[in-house]
Amino acid sequence: MRWMWIDQIVELVPGKRMVAIKNVSLAEEHLHDHFAADGSLEPLPVYPASLMIEGMAQTAGILVGAARDFKEKVILAKIMRATIDCDVFPGQTIRYEARVENLDNAGAATTGVVSRTEAGSGKWEVIGHIDLLFSHADQTMTGIDVPEHNFVFGENLKIILQTAGLAVSAKR
Amino acid sequence: MKFDLIDTVLEQSPDRIVAIKQVSLAEEYLADHFPSFPVLPGVLMLETMVQAARRLLSNRGETRLVLGAVKGLKFGSFVRPGETLTVDVTVTGSVDGTYECRGKGRVIRHNGGRPDETAVSGRFTMRPIRRTLPDELMRPQEK
Amino acid sequence: MPDTAVLTQDEILDKTREVLVEALVLDPEEITPTSSLTADLQAESIDFLDIVFRLEKTFSTEDKPFKIEPGELFPDNLLENPEWVQEGKLTDAGMAMLKERMPHVDFSEFDQDRNVDKVAANITVGSLVTFIERKLST
Repeated sequence: MRWMWIDQIVELVPGKRMVAIKNVSLAEEHLHDHFAADGSLEPLPVYPASLMIEGMAQTAGILVGAARDFKEKVILAKIMRATIDCDVFPGQTIRYEARVENLDNAGAATTGVVSRTEAGSGKWEVIGHIDLLFSHADQTMTGIDVPEHNFVFGENLKIILQTAGLAVSAKR
Repeated sequence: MKFDLIDTVLEQSPDRIVAIKQVSLAEEYLADHFPSFPVLPGVLMLETMVQAARRLLSNRGETRLVLGAVKGLKFGSFVRPGETLTVDVTVTGSVDGTYECRGKGRVIRHNGGRPDETAVSGRFTMRPIRRTLPDELMRPQEK
Repeated sequence: MPDTAVLTQDEILDKTREVLVEALVLDPEEITPTSSLTADLQAESIDFLDIVFRLEKTFSTEDKPFKIEPGELFPDNLLENPEWVQEGKLTDAGMAMLKERMPHVDFSEFDQDRNVDKVAANITVGSLVTFIERKLST
C-alpha cells in the first residue's frame, strides 16, 4: 500500500497556505483492523487520528517544501499540539488546511485546521487542530546519516502536484 | 496495510505498559517512506504508543479508545528496517472518561554498531470514539 | 499588545516562562531563572527551534519584528569548525567565539570543562531573558 494520506491538493500558495482533501473509504485495508470484530463487538471502522496527523504533515510538508522549490529535506520533527475532537468514518471526506507560521533556514512551524464532511453534503465542520514543527534535515541533523539526495520529495509528490495542475519544474 | 503495530508486550502493570514493534522491509508502506531511505514514519511511532495505551486501558474495561490529543511529541532518531521500536507508556491521569498518557520510544539496534537512542517522546490523550462533536465544541460551520 | 520596548525584566521572564511551558510541556513552577534548558528542563535541539519561533512570535510587534538569526540564541553547528573544537573540546578561539556570539550566557564555569556536548547546558532561562532584553532595546 502507499504511504500517501492526501488525495488532492485543492489550493496551494507556496510558503503560505495549502488545502488538501482525503476521502475515507472502506476500501482502505487498515480500517478493517481499526477496528476489527472483537468478542461480541462488531467491526467498527474509524479513521485513525495518527493518520490524520500524517495527512496534515503531508499537507504542511508540501507547503513548506514548496517555499524553497523542494530543495530542502523537510522532516516532521515535533507535533506541537494536535486535538481531534470528533472522529471520521468511511463515506466522509477530510479537509486539511495548513498555514506557515514561521519559516527559516533551520525549519518551519505550521498551524492547521482539520474539517470533515459527508460526501456530497457540501457542509464542512471543523473537527480539530494540528500544529507541527518541521526541520530542514541538512541544516539541523548533523551527525545523523541522512542521504545526500532529497528522499523526502519524490514521485508521489509529483503525481499529486500534477493532478492538481501544479507541475513543479526542477529549476525556476 | 495491517494496522496492528504491537508485536510483543514485554511488561504490563495497571498503569504502565512496555511493548515492541519490529520494523521490516516486508512492510509495504516503507517503499514510499522513503524510496531509497526506508524509515518508520513518526506517526506510526505515535500509533504504536496509542495501541499500547489502548491495550493497557482495556484492562480497565475501556474498549476501543482512540487518540484524542497530542502535546509536545518530539521525534529523535530514525527507526530503520531491522531495528526495533520499544515503547514505554504510562497512564498519568484521567478526567471524564479521557485518559492522559506519557510515552517514550527507543530504537533498539541489533547490529552492535550504534547505541540505542530515543526515537519519540511526548504526551497524548485517549478518549472514547465520537461520531459527532461534543455539544460544548459545536462550532459555526465553515463557509 | 504592550509596546515591547518598555517591558520590564519580570514581564520578559513571565512571557519567556509561558513560551517554555508550551514548548517543553512543563508546569510554570518548574521554570526558574537559574534553570538550565537542557540539564533541568530536558530541552533538546528540536525544542530550540520551537522556542526560537515562539519567542519571535511573542516579542514581535507590528512596527518591530523580533527576528532571531540561526546561532544567535542557541549554538549551532559548533562541531563544524576545527578552529573552535578539537577532540570534543572548545579551543581558546572557540571559547572566545562563544563569549562573543552569546554574551547572554555565563560561560565562566564552563571554561574549566570545555566539553562541546556541554555548551548548551549553560543556557539558562535567565540568559534567555538577558538576550531578549538586549535585543528589544536595540
